[in-house]
Amino acid sequence: MSASGRAVILIIIIVISLALPRDQIAQAAPSTADARGNLSQSLAIVVNRSNPIDNLSFAELRKIFLGDRNHWSNGHRIAIAMLEYGQPERRAVLRLIYRMDEKAYQDYLLRGMFRGDVFVAPKTLTSPTIVRKFVFNAPGGIGYLRASDVDESVKVIRIDGLLPEDKGYRLQIDESSKGTDD
Amino acid sequence: MLARRFLVILIHAVPEKVKHAFALILFPLLLAGALCAQQPETTVTLDARKLQELLGRIADLEQSQKQLLERVAQLEAQSGVHGPAVTSTPGQVASSSSSPSLVLAGGSPKGDQTKPAPGNGQQSDQSPMLGGTEHMDVSRTALNIRGFGDFGFYGGNQNGQTSSFSIGQTNLFITSDLSERVRFLTELVFEVHQNNSFQSDLERVLLEGSLNDYLKLSGGRYHTAIGYYNTAYHHSTWFQTATERPYIFEYEDEGGILPIHMVGVQASGQIPSGKLGLHYIAEVGNGRTSNPIAEPVQNYVDENGHKAFNAAIFARPDAVPGLQTGFSIYRDVLSAPDSPKIPETIIDAYAVLIRSRFEWLNEALMIRHAPAGQHVYETPAFYSQISERFGIYRPYLRYQYINASSHEPVFPQVGLRTGPSVGMRFDATESVAFKLQYDYTFLRRQGPIDGKSCVQLSMCAPSAAAVQVDFKF
Repeated sequence: MSASGRAVILIIIIVISLALPRDQIAQAAPSTADARGNLSQSLAIVVNRSNPIDNLSFAELRKIFLGDRNHWSNGHRIAIAMLEYGQPERRAVLRLIYRMDEKAYQDYLLRGMFRGDVFVAPKTLTSPTIVRKFVFNAPGGIGYLRASDVDESVKVIRIDGLLPEDKGYRLQIDESSKGTDD
Repeated sequence: MLARRFLVILIHAVPEKVKHAFALILFPLLLAGALCAQQPETTVTLDARKLQELLGRIADLEQSQKQLLERVAQLEAQSGVHGPAVTSTPGQVASSSSSPSLVLAGGSPKGDQTKPAPGNGQQSDQSPMLGGTEHMDVSRTALNIRGFGDFGFYGGNQNGQTSSFSIGQTNLFITSDLSERVRFLTELVFEVHQNNSFQSDLERVLLEGSLNDYLKLSGGRYHTAIGYYNTAYHHSTWFQTATERPYIFEYEDEGGILPIHMVGVQASGQIPSGKLGLHYIAEVGNGRTSNPIAEPVQNYVDENGHKAFNAAIFARPDAVPGLQTGFSIYRDVLSAPDSPKIPETIIDAYAVLIRSRFEWLNEALMIRHAPAGQHVYETPAFYSQISERFGIYRPYLRYQYINASSHEPVFPQVGLRTGPSVGMRFDATESVAFKLQYDYTFLRRQGPIDGKSCVQLSMCAPSAAAVQVDFKF
C-alpha cells in the first residue's frame, strides 16, 4: 500500500477513534435524560434536616401518615405536610400510602379527629416550595416532593432502604391516574 | 480500544517524513476534535440539569410571588389598610390545615402558617406550624369548628307512639391547638327531648396533652371507654351507619343503661408491641349517679367519695388491616341515700372489622350489680352489625339483645329486648346522607305502660321505621 493510501486509512481510523467519545456521549445523554425523567416521577419523602431518621419501612411510613404514630424518636411531634387537592403528588400519596381516594381521606381525617385518633390534622400547603419551607422550619415536619423538587434544605429519607433514584423504589407518581382518584 | 491499538500500530508503520508532516496537520485536528468532543458533554450537563432547576425555581418563585400578593391583598382587606405599608413575610403564604374544618374569625389557625427560613439557619423548636413564638391575638380565635346535624321522620306501632318529624342533635365539634402537644376539644350539642324543648349540652369538654406515642393525658368530660362503640361514635349520627346507636349504648338522658359520659381524667397510648398494635386506656372519674331523678352525669359533684375507674386494652394488628379487638372493665360503687351500696362492674369485649367498603361490628358486655347482702344481678347484652358499601349505597343489618331482670336495682324497666334492624344508607353528596331503617324489637318483662303490662297490651313486639337525613357542615 502506498504512503498516501496509508495516510487515508490513518485519517479514517483517527476520525473513527475521535468519534468514539461522541458515541459514548450520545449514549449517555438519553440515559441522563431518563434519569431526570424518573426523578420527576419519583416521590421523595422529606423530613427536617435535624431529624435523625434516615430510613423508614413502608409500614412505618403508612402509620405516620395515617396518624397512628405521632412522635419521632427524638420526641418531636410529627407534623405532616400535604399538598393541595388535585396535585399529582397528593394523588400519589393518597393512592400509595393512604390507599384511599380523596373522599375517603377526608372522611378518615374527620373521623380520626372526632375520635381522637388523629391528634392534629396534616397541613395542606399550596406548592412544593412551601412544603420545603415547612419541613425546613418544623423540627418534626414530614412531607413529600417530586425528587426533582428536592433541594438541600430538606432531608430525603429512604423507604425500605431505597432512595427515589434507586431501582424498585415504590413511591412513583402515576400521571395517568389524574382525576381518577378524586 | 481495539481501534486505538490499531492506530498505534499504523503510526509505527508510516514513514518518518510523512509522520512529521502529518503530525503538523493532525495536531490542530486533534485539538479541534477534542474540543468538539468535550463541548457537548459540558453542554448536556449544564443544559439539562441547570436549566431545569432554574426553570423550576423560576416557576416556584413566580407562584410564591403570586401567593404573596394574594396574601398581602387579603391582609389589606382584613385590616383595612391599603398601600405599601402592609408587609408580609414570605413564609406566610396560603396554607391551611387539611382538617376539614372551619377556622373562625378569618385567622388561619396558628398552626397553619409557615415562617421563612431564619437567616442564620437556626430552626425553631416551637410549634412546627409556626416555627416561632406564638401569641394569641385577642381579636381573633383559633377554633376549628365542624358541624353535624340530623333530621328525620319516625313512627312505630308501640302504644302511645305517634309518627313525628324530629330534629335530632345539632353538634358543633370544636377543637383548638393550644400548643404543639396540647389541644382543647369540645362537642356542643343542641338537642330536643320528649317535651319538645331545646337543650344545649357540652357533651364532651376535654383538654388533651400528647406527651409521646405512649402517653396522652386528658381531663374533663369524655365518653367512657367502655368497649368500642362509645368512643368510636360520639354525638353525631353522621359517622354511624345506622340511624341510632345500639340500645346498650344509648345516652343516659335517653334511657341508656351505661355510664356513657364520665368526668375525670384519662391516660391512653400505645403499648410497645410491634405488629400487634396494642393500645391502652385508663380512666378515673366521678362515675354516674345512683339517684334516678338527678342529672345522670356527675359533672360537678360526686355523690360519694368513691371514684369510678375503667381500664381498656385493644389491638390493631398490622396483619389484618381494619381489625380492632379489645376488652374493658369498669368498676364503680353506686350509693343512693337510704339504700345499700351497689357495687357495679361492667365487662365488655369486642371485635370489629372496618374497611372502606366493609364493616362488621360485634360487641358483648355484662353488667353486674351486687347490692350488699342481696341477690347479684347480671345483665348480658350484645349487638352485631354488618354492612357493605356499593357505591353510594350501604345496606346494613343489626341485631341486638339485652336481657335484664325485672328486679334489676338500677334499670328495672329494661327487661328483655331483642330484634333486628335493617336499613340502607345513601350518601347523596359528600355532606348529606339519607338513611332508611326498619326495627323489629321483641320485648318482655317491660315496665307497665299506662298501668298495663306488655302482655295486656298485646304489643310485645313493636316495630318502628325511620327516615333520617344526616349532614355535616
